[in-house]
Amino acid sequence: MKKLLKFISPLAPDDSGACSVLYELGGITVICDAGGCAGNVCGFDEPRWFTKKSALLSAGLRDMDAILGRDDRLVAKLARAQEQLGRAFTAVVGTPVPAVIATDYKAIERMAEKKTGVPCICVPCDGTKLYDKGEEDAYLALFRRFAQDKLPTEKGTAAVIGATPLNTGFAKADRITEVIKAEGFDEVKCIGLDSGLDEIKNISRFEKVFVTAPSGMKAGAYLKEKFSLDVTAHGCPIPKGYEDKLKALAPAEKTLIIHQQFTANTVREIIGGGVCGTFFKLDESAAQAGDFHIADEEDFAQKAQGFDRIIGDISLKRALPDFGGEWIDLPHFAVSGKMF
Amino acid sequence: MVEAYYITAAELAEKGFENIPDELMSSKHMIYSSPATLDFNSPGAKGFGVKRAGLAIPGSVMLLVAPGCCGRNTALLNELGYNERFFYLLLDDTDIVTGRHLTKIPKACKEVCDSLDYTPTAVMICITCVDALLGTDMERVCRKCENETGVPTLPAYMYALTREKRLPPMAGIRKSVYGLLKPQKRRGGRCNILGYFSHLHDSCELYGLLKSVGVSTQELSRCDTIERYHELSSANFNLVINPEARYAAQDMEKRLGIPFIEINRFYRIDKIRNQYRLLGQALGVQFEDGKFYDAAKKSVEELTAKHGAVRYAVGECVNADSFELALALTEYGHKVSEIYGTVGERNFFYIKKLAELSPDTRIFTNLSPTMLNYERKTEIDVTIGVDAGYYHPDLPNVPFNDEEQPFGYEGVSLLAEQLSKALEKEDK
Repeated sequence: MKKLLKFISPLAPDDSGACSVLYELGGITVICDAGGCAGNVCGFDEPRWFTKKSALLSAGLRDMDAILGRDDRLVAKLARAQEQLGRAFTAVVGTPVPAVIATDYKAIERMAEKKTGVPCICVPCDGTKLYDKGEEDAYLALFRRFAQDKLPTEKGTAAVIGATPLNTGFAKADRITEVIKAEGFDEVKCIGLDSGLDEIKNISRFEKVFVTAPSGMKAGAYLKEKFSLDVTAHGCPIPKGYEDKLKALAPAEKTLIIHQQFTANTVREIIGGGVCGTFFKLDESAAQAGDFHIADEEDFAQKAQGFDRIIGDISLKRALPDFGGEWIDLPHFAVSGKMF
Repeated sequence: MVEAYYITAAELAEKGFENIPDELMSSKHMIYSSPATLDFNSPGAKGFGVKRAGLAIPGSVMLLVAPGCCGRNTALLNELGYNERFFYLLLDDTDIVTGRHLTKIPKACKEVCDSLDYTPTAVMICITCVDALLGTDMERVCRKCENETGVPTLPAYMYALTREKRLPPMAGIRKSVYGLLKPQKRRGGRCNILGYFSHLHDSCELYGLLKSVGVSTQELSRCDTIERYHELSSANFNLVINPEARYAAQDMEKRLGIPFIEINRFYRIDKIRNQYRLLGQALGVQFEDGKFYDAAKKSVEELTAKHGAVRYAVGECVNADSFELALALTEYGHKVSEIYGTVGERNFFYIKKLAELSPDTRIFTNLSPTMLNYERKTEIDVTIGVDAGYYHPDLPNVPFNDEEQPFGYEGVSLLAEQLSKALEKEDK
């Protein structure tokens, strides 16, 4: 049966993706929920929750708020939080509850800005989609709202879009900046990872913009069009130790690599072949012949047939009880909640 | 940027329950799901949230019918060995608006049952805020599932939206997990202890005291087979030790004819003694609890003798009512500098008492966004509770949040021992 999961736990949802992008930008992020979604994001999908403080709040909706559509109360609570915390902007991230009652996010944006005096963006997630969709919408909303002017280009600088813990398995930017710097850049900033809102505002100063996950491609295209920036898809860096482990692998006949597409591409480049399969977005421009999208468990069981090696998150192995080949663990935080 | 909000016990008592400041009421402000309170704030989170609690019936499985986001953190329970008992029917954006998923649930149930190499004793169908808003008649859906699979099917309502209602999710799930019990001949001298999803410490005096007057005890978490589970309905009475189980007890009284007696978890020794006296009266017996009373008293005296008047911060992620515990420690001659808790009708009584003995005790709420700015400004020697430990990582902490539940005199002794150990470690 489609959409029935018997072996795999649900993958990271869109609201987690949106929060992941917003986490370090210094705003107030409100998850428009009753408490459970915020618990999932903070307690499971956000590894930085225990190491880096962020004003990531739950709207604490109750049934009558939803039934009566009391957006004014939501905005009043947001204004109160802004008075207490004094942040540069506010963001409202959707969940299933506002989706069911068809919340008017445009109206919330306007009401919140009027009441708080700072910019507000809304990311209309509904909890039914995957994290990459939430990230995509959040990146786009942020650049549209905050990147206004074309600044002079600074030589030797690069920005990275797509560097969230859900995509990369990193809670810090070190490894990613190290890899990009090795390609000839003096200054590298990962948007939303060890960097704040200023890098979003000043994105047009960067000589080069690298996108390390499909969730950043739409924002990349937007920046290319608006500021004529040099935007390129880039394999997502993985830890050096893991790279060495991959290099030491014996050759296999047919290898399936399962991750977010740009991490899978990195792995393919290191081992010199393989097919990419992903439960998340598959960007055609960065895909090779034979790469495929996986819709659900049933689809996975069918498409994984015929491979003698799978490199993917170990938690997915349960879904292939008959797989007799070799499984190499490639942690994906958006799947199992495990970091590298 | 404002400082973390607090109010002193004296100020709060003076305002009265009717005038609790907005900052202490979670419905009046945004909620900070602080790392300190994650388990507490989300009804599906770690510990015994609705999802794990719903699997309290031995041999049962759960089908979570919800958008993917609601089941995301269930992966945490995989580490506890639950991964073979959880299944998910994911809803898409059309489902959550039209409710068309309801027709798919019986088929999904069937597929889940067919995929197992055993017949589950029950299927728990867990639904979330979406179905709360759609007004889903889950009892009816469960009956359809039962017809399709032949396996008893029960609802588990993980409605975070109704957390402050008359029947919050954790009270509702307590009712559900006793829902399979059928009326049978009750046996004198047998009682169920209702309250938590894990049992009391084996050494808790409550077992011995009841046994001494000819009453044997049963607890859901000690039922390792479905046969033992069904014996729960043979009890002569239910002993409710946590108010969250009251609704389940009322339902059992109505459906199974089992009356209930309600008692509380206290950390004030005299209150514990008084409660045992009253329980004895209700049962027509007298408990010989002197030696347990003496042992608890001695453990507190030893703590005081060794460490003097200790200064505490008391949290709410703890096996106690934070305010009752703070009052107990104050009555023992110690000082509670700070409490992180949720003020409600039930515990306001303790706040009033506390205001008399320790008017300067600062009361914070974990859920206020201002707690992002918390800084210690009082003298504290040791913290009690996981949340209190989070705010003061440099101080000794007694989490006192184990799954096995402390109760009665034994709870007091356990706490005193753990506090003593934590303080001794610090001294070294």
